[in-house]
Amino acid sequence: MKSKNHPLLGIHSLLMMVFIYVPIAFIIAYSFNSSRLAADWSGFTFDWYISLFKNRHVMEALSNSLTVAIISTVVSTVLGTLAAMSIRKVNSRTKAGMGGLLYLPIIIPDIIMGLSLLVLFNQLNMPLGKITIIIAHITFSMSYVYVVVSTRLTGMKGQLEEAAQDLGAGAWQTFRYVTLPQILPGIISGALIAFTLSLDDFMVSFFVSGPSSTTLPIYIYGQVKRGISPEINALCTILILVSVTLIFLAQFILNRGKGQKKQSVLPF
Amino acid sequence: MKKMKWAGLVLAVMMVLAVLSGCGSSKETLNIYSWADNFDADVLADFEKQYDVKINYDVFANNEDLLAKIKAGGGGYDLIQPSDYMVATMIKQDLLAPLNKDNIPNFTNIADTYKNPSFDPDNKYSIVYTSGVTGIAYNTKYVKDEIDSWEDLWNPEYKGKVLLLDDNREIIGMALKKAGHSNSSTAEAEITAAVEDLKNLLPSVLAFDTDNIKQKMIQEEGWIATVWSGDASVIAKDNPDVAYVVPKEGGTIWSDNYAIPKDSKHQELAEKFINYMLDPEVSAKNYESIGYSDPNTAAKPFHSEEYNNDRMINLSQDELSRTEWLGDVSDMLQLYDRFWTELKSGR
Repeated sequence: MKSKNHPLLGIHSLLMMVFIYVPIAFIIAYSFNSSRLAADWSGFTFDWYISLFKNRHVMEALSNSLTVAIISTVVSTVLGTLAAMSIRKVNSRTKAGMGGLLYLPIIIPDIIMGLSLLVLFNQLNMPLGKITIIIAHITFSMSYVYVVVSTRLTGMKGQLEEAAQDLGAGAWQTFRYVTLPQILPGIISGALIAFTLSLDDFMVSFFVSGPSSTTLPIYIYGQVKRGISPEINALCTILILVSVTLIFLAQFILNRGKGQKKQSVLPF
Repeated sequence: MKKMKWAGLVLAVMMVLAVLSGCGSSKETLNIYSWADNFDADVLADFEKQYDVKINYDVFANNEDLLAKIKAGGGGYDLIQPSDYMVATMIKQDLLAPLNKDNIPNFTNIADTYKNPSFDPDNKYSIVYTSGVTGIAYNTKYVKDEIDSWEDLWNPEYKGKVLLLDDNREIIGMALKKAGHSNSSTAEAEITAAVEDLKNLLPSVLAFDTDNIKQKMIQEEGWIATVWSGDASVIAKDNPDVAYVVPKEGGTIWSDNYAIPKDSKHQELAEKFINYMLDPEVSAKNYESIGYSDPNTAAKPFHSEEYNNDRMINLSQDELSRTEWLGDVSDMLQLYDRFWTELKSGR
């Protein structure tokens, strides 16, 4: 049975889409504009993409971003998964409390997170740089991994593991051959989300960055103040593309093998 | 066996991490914290080669970001580029190291106008890198009268076509200049009068805009604007109808400078870098590429004719003599801020 929506609702959602996606479409379109000026269209070109890859500072920022993203993803995925595994075993009251604590970094505004980490690093006399950015990214990525993996764990029945143990499997073997294969899609999609978040993060990185740790978002922010060049549009287009691909991939993997029952952590 | 494989994997990951996060090279590094695209890339690469060092070049977007980072513990930077008023603030807060001029013999190449500035007497902590003057840019296609005074912005013929910088001190300072006062007046009556004057200008104002003011002038959305001299040069290259003048009442002069944070670990290298940048030939190459004004008098013969003939990059002695640095207004800044908010919300 299909109920007909009010026509105004359709217009409303259309406007919302326009509002959200038109600015992004502009950035993508103008990254192919041969004029330096953002408002004049004077022909199609790939020049900005070419000059982007020749720009040493962009490439350094890119390599910093990737280094930070890869390391923080690996570490936060391991830590987040371990946290989800351990909290699964405790009683429901403790579970709610600890889960809430692990969930907190998602809710805390980035600016507070950045500031508090900066204060902490100063107290510890840690020089700011790539290491501090990596630690900061692990801190917030871990929570996302935890949420995704624990969703997967909740959907998992305990019988298989019990059966494995009845048949003589040790704790490690149970984990390796029974638990891990079942939660692997959750772990992978958690890792992909962590990677995307790390790649896109500006606020937290901005606070805890130091010499030779300029990431792409920090670089873009610095550029914008001096006048937006089409190179920046090209860079943004690439970032958008990578982020969207990874998030969709994460969602696809998480839902795979679950049959009809879709269980999405993210709103799509 | 399986466990061995896992252990091997973990070990491999850890080794990759160690390599990626480690510095890798033992070369001395110069950590620069500056505005984006502020140096010619080749000039930096030449320095790296010549001195066998590595340059890390990080960017900030405004002076306040810079101050926050340096105050929060320095971040390990060796060379920073604060603007004039920020140099004063940083000196006051004891964040800068005094420069050892013995390592910077090329300092003598700097034009006298930029030596001994009011924000840093005797250049004890800073040396000017580039500079500009806030004046009036106007499109001669639409503006037929001769423009020589801030008063001209108030001309009703330009209603709806006036662009102003989105900057508190610049604009209130402009109105103060127009009335014949200092751009950094601390007399409440003078400031109030200047703001009242600006309220009369509001109906003519198309926009308060710093980031896109160049574009709006190039595309002729605005006819007349308060613009930095360097930006005026960029505008005129794309739209030859645009002219620039430093009004007879005078304008605000600003500069970006070299300075070294107090906790720099490579102060001598930073000083060598400043000296290298002040070498006449290097300096000509650098400023030719970035298009800013070059304070280096010895570099003039090495610059192209086009650069030397650009009146907006090479302001005349007469124009420069009419300029004033923004000074510290201390407690009155609150008044400036309040008036500015009122002004912008009262539209």
